[in-house]
Parts: sequence; structure tokens; C-alpha cells
Amino acid sequence: MKNTDIQISICGSAGDGTIAAGDILKRALAKGGFKVIAFDVYPPEIRGFGKCISRVRVTTEQVYSLKHHSDVLVSLDDSHAIPHVGEVRDSGAVIYEDTPISGVLEGSHISAHISPGQIPYGLPVREISEKETSGNRSRNIVALGYLAGLIGMEPEIFHETIADKFRGKAIKITDMNVAAFDKGYALGQKTFKLDDVTVGKAKKSRNKDATITMMNGNAAVVQGCMDAHIKTFFGYPITPATTIMEKLATEMPKVGGRLLQTEDEISAIAATIGAGYAGSRCATATSGPGLALMAEMLGLGVVAELPSVIFVSQRGGPSTGLPTKTEQSDLNLAVYGRGGDGQIIVLAPTNVEGCYKCAGKAFEMAEQYQTPVIVLLDLYLSNRFETVELPKQSPFTKTSNKAAKKKDLEGGYKRYAFTKDLASPRALPGQENGMHTITGLEHNELGRPSDQPRMHEDMSAKRHNKLLAALSHHDITIEKRFGDEGDVDVGILGWGSNFGECLEAMFKAREEGIRCSAMKVVMLSPLPLGPINDFMDASGEVFVPELNYEGQFANLIQGATARSVHSYTRVPGSPMRVEDMLVEIRRLAKIKKAKKIGKTKKAKKKAA
Amino acid sequence: MGNISTKPVYLEDKLAEIKSDGKLEYRSKALPTWCPGCGYFSISEGVTSALNNLAIKPKDTVVVSGIGCSSRFPFFVNTYGFHTLHGRTLPVATGVKTANDDLTVIAVGGDGDGFAIGGGHLSHVARRNVNITYILFDNGIYGLTKGQTSPTSSLGFTTSTTPYENHDRPLNPLMMMLSFGSSWVGQGYAGDPGHLGEMIEQAIAHRGFSYLHILSPCVTFDKTDKTYGNLNMQVKPIPDDHDSSDLMAAIAMAQNVHKPPLGLYYKEDRPTLADGLDEITQQSGGGKNVVTAKAAE
Repeated sequence: MKNTDIQISICGSAGDGTIAAGDILKRALAKGGFKVIAFDVYPPEIRGFGKCISRVRVTTEQVYSLKHHSDVLVSLDDSHAIPHVGEVRDSGAVIYEDTPISGVLEGSHISAHISPGQIPYGLPVREISEKETSGNRSRNIVALGYLAGLIGMEPEIFHETIADKFRGKAIKITDMNVAAFDKGYALGQKTFKLDDVTVGKAKKSRNKDATITMMNGNAAVVQGCMDAHIKTFFGYPITPATTIMEKLATEMPKVGGRLLQTEDEISAIAATIGAGYAGSRCATATSGPGLALMAEMLGLGVVAELPSVIFVSQRGGPSTGLPTKTEQSDLNLAVYGRGGDGQIIVLAPTNVEGCYKCAGKAFEMAEQYQTPVIVLLDLYLSNRFETVELPKQSPFTKTSNKAAKKKDLEGGYKRYAFTKDLASPRALPGQENGMHTITGLEHNELGRPSDQPRMHEDMSAKRHNKLLAALSHHDITIEKRFGDEGDVDVGILGWGSNFGECLEAMFKAREEGIRCSAMKVVMLSPLPLGPINDFMDASGEVFVPELNYEGQFANLIQGATARSVHSYTRVPGSPMRVEDMLVEIRRLAKIKKAKKIGKTKKAKKKAA
Repeated sequence: MGNISTKPVYLEDKLAEIKSDGKLEYRSKALPTWCPGCGYFSISEGVTSALNNLAIKPKDTVVVSGIGCSSRFPFFVNTYGFHTLHGRTLPVATGVKTANDDLTVIAVGGDGDGFAIGGGHLSHVARRNVNITYILFDNGIYGLTKGQTSPTSSLGFTTSTTPYENHDRPLNPLMMMLSFGSSWVGQGYAGDPGHLGEMIEQAIAHRGFSYLHILSPCVTFDKTDKTYGNLNMQVKPIPDDHDSSDLMAAIAMAQNVHKPPLGLYYKEDRPTLADGLDEITQQSGGGKNVVTAKAAE
């Protein structure tokens, strides 16, 4: 059986139902047992006339990124879709409105832009929509039905998904939309078929301990929080992190948790740290501008050694920047953004399942190592849908606080006692005989202010060294290598949401005969230097692609290892193009080959 | 108001009285770093005796402060204490209280900490009616940084940052806190520790957000304006016929900045932040609230 791998793009104007159609499509396919990866692009305005694109890639086996070329493009608005005709591959399909309500100027209709290799499918979308639903608001559903019929998907699952989508509204709405879908479907079935754009059968998973579901990164973060028994959350709305707070606002009260929308991000992190001090499992969520406001308070979290979890979803910056476009440019702020020596733990998941894992583990780490923990996502990962397998039993602890015991409290409790693992036992407010005052001032073991040079040396060392234990924290991927084993020509060192593209590029490079492997680094602070150095030893050339202008990760690696890498940076506001990365990988592979030849020539000379 | 400093006090008698009374349990072993004569001594005396009278255990009390002379307060009481950042006392206190309803949370700070850098948080903690007590030590100057102008410094006051006199109109903290929706607002004076102690006790006992404004001279950097000498002549008790449930009367009284009335301005019983959050839990169909963070055994 041939494996399915189809990517569909739906493009329209804000308000056309573009994102809604994409949503029904990916949910229906995931229900049908396919693996899905999907990402929407939308403008910062709610209505307006901005461009919306919903891209869905459907596969039999899980893939890691979207493809550069789509197999099918559906146009709901020609003026927006015309520039995207080029992204449809040769022999790919373009579905469009062929009966415009009035005449269109030459060149304004999409049919004039479809290239000879692409296959045009015109249908009277508006007319069908009006006939079936007495209005043109179901154009997106008609087009969706046509698409489903064309590529041979089962209609029943779509019916269910449409009913789910309109649940809570009048039954009539569902019925009308299903009718619109069926009309489109019938037409799609009747037309001639593309023999290589069809869906096969889906595979069934055999893992009994997991639930297969489709969700985006922010939803996975929420699921991680809930499975980790989060107790309190304080936040302030900011794109693209807002949906984390919105979902938690619904879910947390159901299990007795408390969520408060604060007056600003400073208040959000202050209350989070206050709750952590009182022993509550707590978190906040923000984006770059909010994280900048939180910097001072995170320094207090470091020096007072208190747990807090901060979910940061990056967007284009600096300042308000590109609020609805993706970028990886807050790495510096997350890793370094405190006054003084303020090292904390930074985790950057690379996929949706990783968002779930990092979210839950962040709470364990924050409590166990008594530190703020940043989980660094970006808009692409926050909003990217993937099919994931989540464990039915929560894999996270309920609490990882190191509690002060009776013997710790006898004869003057030392909140910052120098212990073997450097994380001192913590007395919580309400605990008998544990009274003490903590402070942002440098302090001695008792927590009293101290500016003795030796004390500042020792406490600085304590705060830094205790974090190293996180590199061997139980049951979480800190870094991982994929692809060819042993020595390779090109080693791709990647991080965050961009790692999916790194993997796709690596697989393609191997198909071309380049010895290649890729390593993802999930823990950005403290860095797993051992494995990174080993990987660099094994790689002829080290390639570090990332979505920021300055090469922030490349600089981090170069600074920490004192070895040079090939930094490759792009800031298009969208995911990196795999094809572009491949060009660079091929070039680097040639450098490696040239060096090899040079070496053998030298060796021959020596021998002679 | 009691009669100010007329009877002689004998050290032996005072020591015996203090030891028998139990409030020493609330004192930490650390010596206060304030200047001799600082108004803050009477405030720490007031807080410890109030907690003692209310029988709130040291282990169940958290004192949260910001940065400034007054914010050193937590080090000098034997409770749980959190000396946080400049201006962030109230949101941290909100977090502590939200995590554990069983704690008595007292936020302390100065006029600069609360009304300059921390000004953005005041209105929100008041409108949410977070069940904490906010004790504001107002000396009208930045003491810890050695005497700069503050948001409550008088017009014409000369400091190191206003060498040609202060031209910025001072804020009216009482009027602000009343209009923000504080459910308890009162004023005390460090020069009248007896009355101050009573006010602190009432403020802590109030269920909801209580704001106690304390006029407290800085004996080191203010020799001319808010001195004991001047304030002793200015302060007066709130008239007996003031109705503390009348918000407009309270706001009118707050206008009297030159003869500041001492006592309870306003008191209202209304749901707290925690009440609202518990209501949300019920509305969501959620079970019993399980949020209270438990101390380890």
C-alpha cells in the first residue's frame, strides 16, 4: 500500500471561513486515523481583509514539518490566492470559483495564473452555497466537500466533524452545512481524478496506554499543566500565548484550581512567585514583550530560590514587532534576561508532544531545583496542530517540593543551608517553627542580608551548580540525535519549533547521499555541553539554522563550546524553507569533501 | 487619641509588662536598622501587639514588603516574611494569599514603593478586594536612598533631587484608595502608638482589602515638614458622628490634608477575591476547592 502524503492549502480573506474549513479538514482526517500537521497564517486584525491561509499535511506516518509545495490549493479569494499558485507542485490541483458574480479584470482571476503543469478545477462555489444554504456563507464548506470528493476521503467523518463544529447552534445550521458539503462532494466525485493525489487507508495505533488526539502546542501545554496538577495561574493576555490562559480558565476551576487575570505581566509573575513561595504549583504565560517586563521579578525568583513556571511563546520582535508571525528571537532574553548572574532553566520543546512533556516537567524542575523555569515556544509551535499520543496516566509528580523536616527546623532553621544537592529544604508558610524571612538581597544560610564577599561567592556557586542536576532529570529528553550514526559530513544542530524542518532537511540530504545527522537541544539552560561537544566532534561541519536575525542559538553554542559553527538565520515570519536549508547543507557537504581531499593530499606529501 | 508623652515610663516596669504579655514571640532576634526616633518603631510595636491580641500565630502570618526603609520590616518580626522588589509588594501578596487562604497576609511599604513605582497595582488589589492588609508608612521622602522627593512630598519641599523646591503636587493616598474601592480605609499616626495599635488590629481583623495610611516622620531627612512637632499640632481624631459606611463623607474627609483626621474612614463588607474564585469553581461544576497549599509534615 502506498503511503499517503498530501498537503492542502486553503487561502481566503479574513471572514471567508478559511481557518474554519482547514480546522474541519484536519479534525476529520485525524479522526480517520491519519497523522496530521497543520499551521494557519492569519492577519493581526479580526475582520479586515487580511490574508488567511490554512495548510494541512496528511500522512500515514508522522512527519515533522509542512512541505514547501502543496498538492492542492483551494482559493476562497483569488486576490489573496493568486500569489500562492506557485506553491502548488507540478500536476497538483487548484480549486477555485469559476462563476464570478460579475466580470473580473484580466489577470484578477486565478485561472489566468495556473501554470500548464497544474490541474485546474473550477466550480460554481457561490451558486451551490446559495442554493443549499440560502446564502453564500457556506462557500468554504462547498469547496471542502469538493476537495473531499476529489481526493476520495470518506464523507461520514466530515459529517460528524461539521456537526461538532456547529454544536450549540441550531440543528438547522448543521443540516445546511452538511447539505452544502454533500453537494460539493458529489461534484468532486464525478470529476476526473488525479491518480497521485488520493488518500489511502489510515494505520491504527497499537499503544493501549496512550490516547491519540490532535492538538496544537498551546493546548498541549494546557494538558501538561492539568496532568501536573497545576494549582494557581496568573496571566495577562498576549498573542500568541493567550490561548493557554483561555483554556486554563475553563479547565482549572473544574479541579479546584485558581486563575487570575492580572493588571500586567509584572503583576502576573509577581503573583506567580508569591504563590510558589506559599507552596502552590503555579505558572504564568506570555510572549517576548511580557517576558521583558518580567525580567526583574525572575531575578528575585533566582536569588530567593523560589519555583515558578513561565510559558513564553515567541513572536516577531523587537517591541510589538510581528504579533501574528513566528520567530525564534527571544532566546537571548530567556537565557540571559535578568540583572546580575541570574541563570535559570530554559526548556524549548521541538514539537507538540514535547510541549506536553516540557510543561509538566517544568513544574517538577521548578520545585526540585527551586528556580524559575521558562518553557520557550513560538507562534509556529503554539498554533501548529499535530497528531499526538498522550499517556492515559499522568507521568508527572504531584509535588516535587523538598520539604523542611523536623530536624531541619531545630535550633534555628536555615532556609539556604548548604546541602549536598544544593537545593535547601524549604519550610512553607503555615509550617510550625519554620518562620523565616527571604529577600532579594544577598543573604546567608539563615536568609538574613549579608554582603560578605565569601558569602556572595558561595551563594552564587550554589544557585548555579544546583541547576546542573536538571541535565539528568528523570524521564525527559534534554537533547537527542537523529539520522546517520558515527561521523557525518554535516551535523545540523537545531532547537525549538524549527527542528521539524531540520529533520526533513536531514532526511532529504541523506536521500541525496550526504552523510548527515541532526541533534535537537531541548534544554537551552543549562546546556548539555557533553553531548553537544560529542556531536560537534562527529560532524565535519556544524550547521545551525534558526528563525532569528542574529543567530542567537549559534552564538550561545559558540560561546559555551568555544568552537565555531555555520550559523544560518532567516526572519520571514514563517517557518524556514526546507529547500533553502538543503542548498546550504549541500554546500557544507562540499566543504567537508574538499577538506578531506586536502587532508589526504597533505598526508600523501608527508608520506612521500 | 491618648495623651501624648506626659507620664514617666520606668524601664523595669516596661520590661516586666512586655515579658508577661506574649507579644515578644512576634519579635525577631534581628535588631531594626531604622534611625533612632523613626516612626517605624511604633508601627512594628503596633503590628506585633495586634497579632498577639488577635491570637494569630506567627506561623500563619506572612509579612510581604517591597524596597525602602519601611520594607525592611519583615526582618524584625518573627513571622514568615518576604522582602520582594521595589513596588511589587501587592501582587506578590496577592499570589501568597491566593495560594493559601489560611494565611494572614500583611503587606507593608513606604510612599515611594506604593504610590510611585508600585502605583499601577493599587487600584487592582483594591477593586478585587484581596483579603490582605496593606500598611503604608508615609514619611513623604525616600529615606533609604538618603532623601529624595516622593509622590507625597509637599509642594515647596526641598530635597536632594528638588534643590529648587518641589513643584509636583502631592498625591492624596486616602482619596485614591477610597475611590479605587478599598473595603476598609483608615489613618494612623506614628506619634500616637496607642491609637495606631488599635487601628492596625482593626485593619488586620477586617475581611477584605484593608488600607491603613500611617503618617510617620523621617527624623533624618525631613527636619522641616512632616516632623513630630508639626504633625502633633495638625492631627486630630475623626469626629464621633462620622458614618464609616458613607463613602462620600469619607472622601470629603480625605480632602483635609492640612488637619489629617485619624481613625476609620470607611468600611464595607463585600465578597473577597477568594470568594469570587470559589464561586467560579462552583460555576464550573468543580469539586471542593483543593487549592490551599499544605505545609509539609
